[in-house]
Order: sequence, then structure tokens, then C-alpha cells
Amino acid sequence: MFLAWNEIKNNKLRFTLVIGVLVLISYLVFFLSGLANGLEQLNREAVDKWEADGVILTEESDLRLQQSIVSADDFDGAGVDEYTELSQLSAIASHGDKKENVFIFAVDEASFIMPNVTEGNAFADEGEVIADDTLKEDGFEIGDEISLSSTEETLEITGFTDKARFNAAPVLFTDLNTLETLQYGEMAEGDNDAVNAFVIRTDNLDSVEADEALQVVDTETFIENLPGYTEQNLTLTLMIYFLFVISAVVLAIFLYVLTIQKISIFGVMKAQGISSQYLAGSVVAQTFLLSLAGVMIGLVLAVVTGLFLPAAVPVAFNYIEMLVYGMILIAVSVIGAFISVQTIVRIDPLRAIGG
Amino acid sequence: MAILELKKVQKTFGSGRTKVEAMKETNFEAQQGELVAVIGPSGSGKSTFLSIAGGLQTPTAGEVRMNGTALTDLKEKKRAALRLKEVGFVLQASNLVPYLNVGQQMQLLDKVKKGNMSKAESEALYQSLGIDHLLCSFPKDLSGGERQRVAIAKALYTNPSLILADEPTASLDSDRAFEVMRMLKEITEEKQTATIVVTHDTRLIEDCDKVYQMTDGNMELQEKERYTV
Ligand SMILES: Nc1ncnc2c1ncn2[C@@H]1O[C@H](COP(=O)(O)OP(=O)(O)OP(=O)(O)O)[C@@H](O)[C@H]1O
Ligand SMILES: [Mg+2]
Repeated sequence: MFLAWNEIKNNKLRFTLVIGVLVLISYLVFFLSGLANGLEQLNREAVDKWEADGVILTEESDLRLQQSIVSADDFDGAGVDEYTELSQLSAIASHGDKKENVFIFAVDEASFIMPNVTEGNAFADEGEVIADDTLKEDGFEIGDEISLSSTEETLEITGFTDKARFNAAPVLFTDLNTLETLQYGEMAEGDNDAVNAFVIRTDNLDSVEADEALQVVDTETFIENLPGYTEQNLTLTLMIYFLFVISAVVLAIFLYVLTIQKISIFGVMKAQGISSQYLAGSVVAQTFLLSLAGVMIGLVLAVVTGLFLPAAVPVAFNYIEMLVYGMILIAVSVIGAFISVQTIVRIDPLRAIGG
Repeated sequence: MAILELKKVQKTFGSGRTKVEAMKETNFEAQQGELVAVIGPSGSGKSTFLSIAGGLQTPTAGEVRMNGTALTDLKEKKRAALRLKEVGFVLQASNLVPYLNVGQQMQLLDKVKKGNMSKAESEALYQSLGIDHLLCSFPKDLSGGERQRVAIAKALYTNPSLILADEPTASLDSDRAFEVMRMLKEITEEKQTATIVVTHDTRLIEDCDKVYQMTDGNMELQEKERYTV
């Protein structure tokens, strides 16, 4: 540390540059991780809210909710602790000149997927809905009449719930009858028992006894099959991993150049009898200090930026994940320093006696 | 007591047409309290001799003993440890760490080795070398002579039994050069080290106990009077 620290102190510009590069890389990593996380939530919040273990859809649906049509009596709850039906419809909701792409989830009021109400009241009569509170940020209010793109029927917001977005759109919750009316209009008779899926809670998905034409999937698989979800995650994760590699390479190059410049001075120290381990250790310690500083500054900058971002930017920081990524960044930087360690070990102390 | 012994040491570089006999078979001894000068023209093998004596490279043949330990049998790691313990190098130039001030140059040695000079001892040394006011200066802010004196302080700081100096006065004017040689003489007597100084300046050998002349890899003990008028 002695050598490492004194060198940093006496070459401020040089090491500020190194830290600067690390700050930029780590800032980008943290920001991307926040974005990945935010986008994930945008897609799965409403499903996570169920606290369900699995979903039952038709075999043919390719795990897409809207492609799965089942009859309410296709499943009798064999092998599960709890189950409930779910119907859904996607639509454009508008009120005045406010327009928003939404999902309408029809749920049984008594079931475990009935959302909590954070403001206002739950739906009671036909045509009433609870809305995800991001709609509130878009200007929708309790009591607003909502017209839908696909039907003449209108809905009224009676309350809001939190954390209820699904596949990048806010969710409106209503009862199964209302949804039936939306789908079939005047022809709805209130006895249609077609739903999209069953949501189940069970300790053991394998013990679920469902019809041949149905498939039981765990919630995570269901989410991963949401359109675009996995692709989006992979892209962002790949970018983050690339940044790890970039930071290792950039730091390795920087340190290597610095080490090359110091070869003669390392030679002198080795001639004096200072061990390679001590010198290499000081380079590793130095890298650790630099990357720690860079990552910390990057972290603070990312968090501060997060405070000033408009709500429309789907960035949600997961601090534990950021801490892990920060540690990975430091670790790969230190690994990058090992090229220089090799160089130091190979320096011949004989260089000290030139001529 | 012999601090340094070279027995039938030889060093050749390359082979065939490019073969260079930098040191022909040489026997050499340096005793405690002895200041030895090695002089000779450029390319005669002085630095080669010094680096073999200090365990920086191994001879092609022969044996080197430092305080009784055979250097030639040791791996670089062990030799480094021995250098740290026994040898003080004073080199021609740039043997100071640029980003440490004078005081820190010595602190570094405390980090890697025990049994260095006490505070009182080192302060006395800085005073006698006239660098006690420079402890907070960095190498780049020192004059050539000051740098050389700091290098000497650094070499002595670890209480070595063998001091090896390669052209320690090369970057100094002659007044300073004489002063440095006088200091080395004093230290050799006071600390009872064996001190070997390589130089090509024959005027500087006045204070030396023995003078060796090196020519084409041959090392020969000389009558000192040959060089002093
Ligand atoms: N690593 C090496 N590889 C090949 N030849 C070498 C090597 N080191 C030294 N020599 C050769 O050995 C001979 C002695 O070199 P050395 O450096 O010991 O001379 P020197 O007496 O110190 O000269 P100077 O006064 O110029 O410093 C020279 O001919 C030199 O070219
Ligand atoms: Mg030389």
C-alpha cells in the first residue's frame, strides 16, 4: 500500500484519468442494471403480485395468455392448495385526450389474485375497475370514465393499486362479468365460462392434475415467455457483461503502460532486494484502490441520476445487485492487473546496473 | 574477515562468433573495513564483475560467497533476500523511486526489511551526508550531487556488510566526487563494511586500500602508487 498510495498521490492527473474511465464504465454498468431491472418490473410486477407458484394454460397457447382459452370447469383444483381463474384483454384506454395501452385482468374478488387497493375502493358493480397507479401519473383519476378502443362499453375507475404492470402496460382489474360484457357486448349472458388461465398456489407443481390439453408452468417460466421479456433481459445482461470485460481490458492496458514506464525503477528496487511479490502486491493494491474509487463514484453518480430521472424512464435500482456488480467490476479490474504482475516478475534486476 | 569471495569466477556472454569473455577466471576477496577500487576502460567488465559480486547475475563458472553463503547455489528469490540483508548498492543514476520523497525512500526499506538504522543513527547519517534538510524533497527537485548522496544514504540505511558502488561519482564535479569518496572511506571504517567502488576516474583512488585494474575481463591487483602522484 505504501508504494501504491504514494505513487497515486504524486501522479494525480494520471490516476485521475484511470479513475475517470472506471467511473464512466461503472456508471454505465449501474445504469444498465437499473434499466434492466426497471424493464423487468415493467413486465412482471402484476404477476409477482399474485405470489403464485404456477399458471395453467392450454398446451397450444405457447404460454401466451391471450392465446389460451380454457373453460372454467376444465380444472377442478386437483393437487393444488389454491387456484383461481384469470381472464384478460388488452386494449387502448382513453379519457379525454389521455390514451394508454392497458391490460384488463378479470379476477374473482374473493381470490388470492385480487389486488390490494391503495386508494379509493375496489370494484363492486359491473363496469368498475381498479387501476395500476402509474395511470394516476398519466393523469387518470378516480371517477374517470374510460372508453376502450375495441368496444362501445365504458369503465369507471373506483380505486388504484400499486405495482401492477404487466408486459410493459398498466393493468386494470375488474370482475369476470365485466370482462365478458367487454368481449361480447349485448350478447353476453353472464354464463360464459371461458377464461384464459388458472393461477395456482402449490408446493409441488408436479402433483397438479390437469387435463391433457392443459399445461402447468411455474410462474418464472410464464414470465420468461412474455413477448420480448427474455430477449430484452439477455441484451442488457450481455451489455453489462461486455462492460466487465471492457473495464478489465482498459485497466489492464493502463496499468501495463504505467508498469512499462516504471521498469527501470522496478529493476532498481529488485536489485536492492525488494521482492517481486512486494512490488506486484503494490500494483494489485493500487488497482484495488483505483477501481474501488471509480466504482464508488460511479455508484453515487448513478444513484443521484436516478433521483432526477422522469418517471417515464423505467430505471429501478436494485441495490444488492449494484453492490454485486460493483464487486465484480473491482474483481475484474484486479484480474486485469495481473498482466502487469507478470511483467514485474520478469524484470531482471540486472537492469539496474546499466553500462 | 572476508565479506566477499570470488573463486575462479568466469562470465561469458553469447557463444561462437559472438562470444564475449566479460570476465576471465578471477579470484577476488574483499575484507571487512576495506575500501577497494576497480578501475578499467569501458567494456573491460567492471559492471559485470560488480553485478556478479552483488548476486544480480550468476557467473558462467566459479563460486561467489557472501559472508560465507554461496550465492551461486541460490535461486533469485533467495538471492534477493540476501541482497536486501547484506548489500548496499550505489548506482550511477536514477536509483531513487521518483514518487517517494527522500524520507520515504528509507521508509520503503523499513517496510521490506527489519534491522535498519535507528532514528538517531539515520539522522546522524543524513547530517554527515548533508541531506538532513532534504528529507521532504522529491528526487526530481534534487541536484545530481544531492541525489547521489541520498543514494548513498539509501545504500547504508539497511546496515549492509557489503557496499557496491558503480561509478558513484559519474554525475558529479570533481570536488563533489572527492567528497563522496571520502564519505565512503569513512563509512567503510566506521561501519566495518567491505566497500567496492567501480570507477574510471583514477584520481579518486587516493583513499582506497586496494586498487584492481580490469582489462578485457582480467582483474589484477595494482600498486596504488602507480596512480597516485
Ligand atoms: N548482457 C550482456 N550480453 C552480452 N554482452 C554483455 C552483456 N553484459 C555485458 N556484456 C559485454 O561484456 C563486456 C563487459 O561489459 P561491462 O558492462 O562489464 O563493461 P564496463 O567495464 O562496465 O564498461 P563501462 O565502463 O562502459 O560501464 C562488454 O564487452 C559488454 O559488451
Ligand atoms: Mg559499467
